Amino acid sequence: MISRTEEDFELELRSLPGVLNIGTSHLENGDIDVVTLVVNSKDPAATRSAATQIASLYFPSAAVVVEDANHALASQRRDSPRVMLVGADYDATDGACVVKLSFSGRLGVGRAGSGPLIGGAEATLAALRDLGYDIPYSLMTVSNVTNGRDWPVIVTLRSHSNDADRFGIARNDDDMIGAVKATLNSLNRFVSTLEGRL
Amino acid sequence: MISNNGVVTNATDSKVAPEPRPEPLAEIGATVTSLRSVMPQSTVTSAGSYEPWLFQMMMTELSQRELGVGFIYAVLEFFAQRHGLTDVIVVLTHDSFGLQMFRLGGAVIAPDTVARIGTEPGVYCEPDHVSQIEGDALRTAATLSFSLHVARFSAAHDPLTNIANRRSFDESLEVAAARSARYGWSFTVLLLDLNDFKIVNDHSGHQYGDAILRQFGFALRQTVRQGDTAARIGGDEFAVILSNAEGHESAGFTERLRGHLASVGNSVDFAVGAASSPRDSTDPADLLRIADGRLYEKKGARPQ
Repeated sequence: MISRTEEDFELELRSLPGVLNIGTSHLENGDIDVVTLVVNSKDPAATRSAATQIASLYFPSAAVVVEDANHALASQRRDSPRVMLVGADYDATDGACVVKLSFSGRLGVGRAGSGPLIGGAEATLAALRDLGYDIPYSLMTVSNVTNGRDWPVIVTLRSHSNDADRFGIARNDDDMIGAVKATLNSLNRFVSTLEGRL
Repeated sequence: MISNNGVVTNATDSKVAPEPRPEPLAEIGATVTSLRSVMPQSTVTSAGSYEPWLFQMMMTELSQRELGVGFIYAVLEFFAQRHGLTDVIVVLTHDSFGLQMFRLGGAVIAPDTVARIGTEPGVYCEPDHVSQIEGDALRTAATLSFSLHVARFSAAHDPLTNIANRRSFDESLEVAAARSARYGWSFTVLLLDLNDFKIVNDHSGHQYGDAILRQFGFALRQTVRQGDTAARIGGDEFAVILSNAEGHESAGFTERLRGHLASVGNSVDFAVGAASSPRDSTDPADLLRIADGRLYEKKGARPQ
């Protein structure tokens, strides 16, 4: 039986607009490690912000993941769940990147240095591995086409075997987000073949 | 969750029209009524007689604590074991909370699964070999537990800020005062009043005023320690019970509170009045009167 504190925590989260389901994973000491909200909301970002505030009061170290059921409900899709970008932080003081990805309620966290481009791509690969994926590729190059804003980032991955290199491209105002999305793009089909196995 | 043919199955008949939504208080009564009305039927059902275990679980839970979200997960666990299920999802509706879904083990329901099972209240099992009547009973028990939890939480909390309400604060104060009188344990009551809140409300609108109150309530929750009580006891009046505090802690508390408010850009100012037990009194009414007097001294006015 879960504790009274955890019960009230879950109830507060469920009171947020559009929250359909709460999933939790726990640390060995019983504290909540990751809380995942499945929402049917017009503004999942606002829900995430409110949920993070509530979580900070009950379980300050818990990571909050919000999965949007809106599109799935609207289209009644029958395809598999996808890897989703939950958060990406870049610390300019030490060049460290942290990338958080989720898949079917699980959270994968990857960390890497080397600035927003290389670090973002490396951290994405680390987060995928943290989710349980076996990624037989290494980062070869990351480049943004220009120094201007909103220009594409291109990522190249080299296979550990004799398979062909993989390329991914994404465009974002933020270099790191661009690198993360380009890395995910480069592994798009490869990851989708693995998603059902996890 | 997914059956052999890849489709999530529903233990209930999805063609049944959803029940009309009753009033909140009526809903709890209606749920109890439907549970009672279903149970005698099950006793004459040769297979899947759920009544003894479900009723026994509810009675056991009620004898130890109160029905709530935790009980829903406990029932799902027992239900899965009883029927050899690998997965169970119960979907219910609540007047205030809308559609709510609970999965065995507190597991996440992935968005694609949400899309597959849809928004029809019911019990979804894998494998699907649970009778509709037993599924209905499970959903009824879950709805009742959830409704009771919401009712209990609502009765004790201010809906705008989710901190304790006046009634809950008074109860906590009574308990603290009784312990203080009996064992000499010290505690401090703080009364906090937002300065010029009426002007803010009039000039910027009630929506903005509510946001200020929510931020203040959240800052209070951030500031109190475990075992302390933070409450909203009036429109822009808040109160805090600081456990094991003899009075001098209130200055530090106030500073931390101001820091939390500043961190979210909330510039609202407030006045504080404090009274400590047993130093000032061990009577709850006296403590509130003393704290109130000190509060209004600081605000430069006397209570009417």
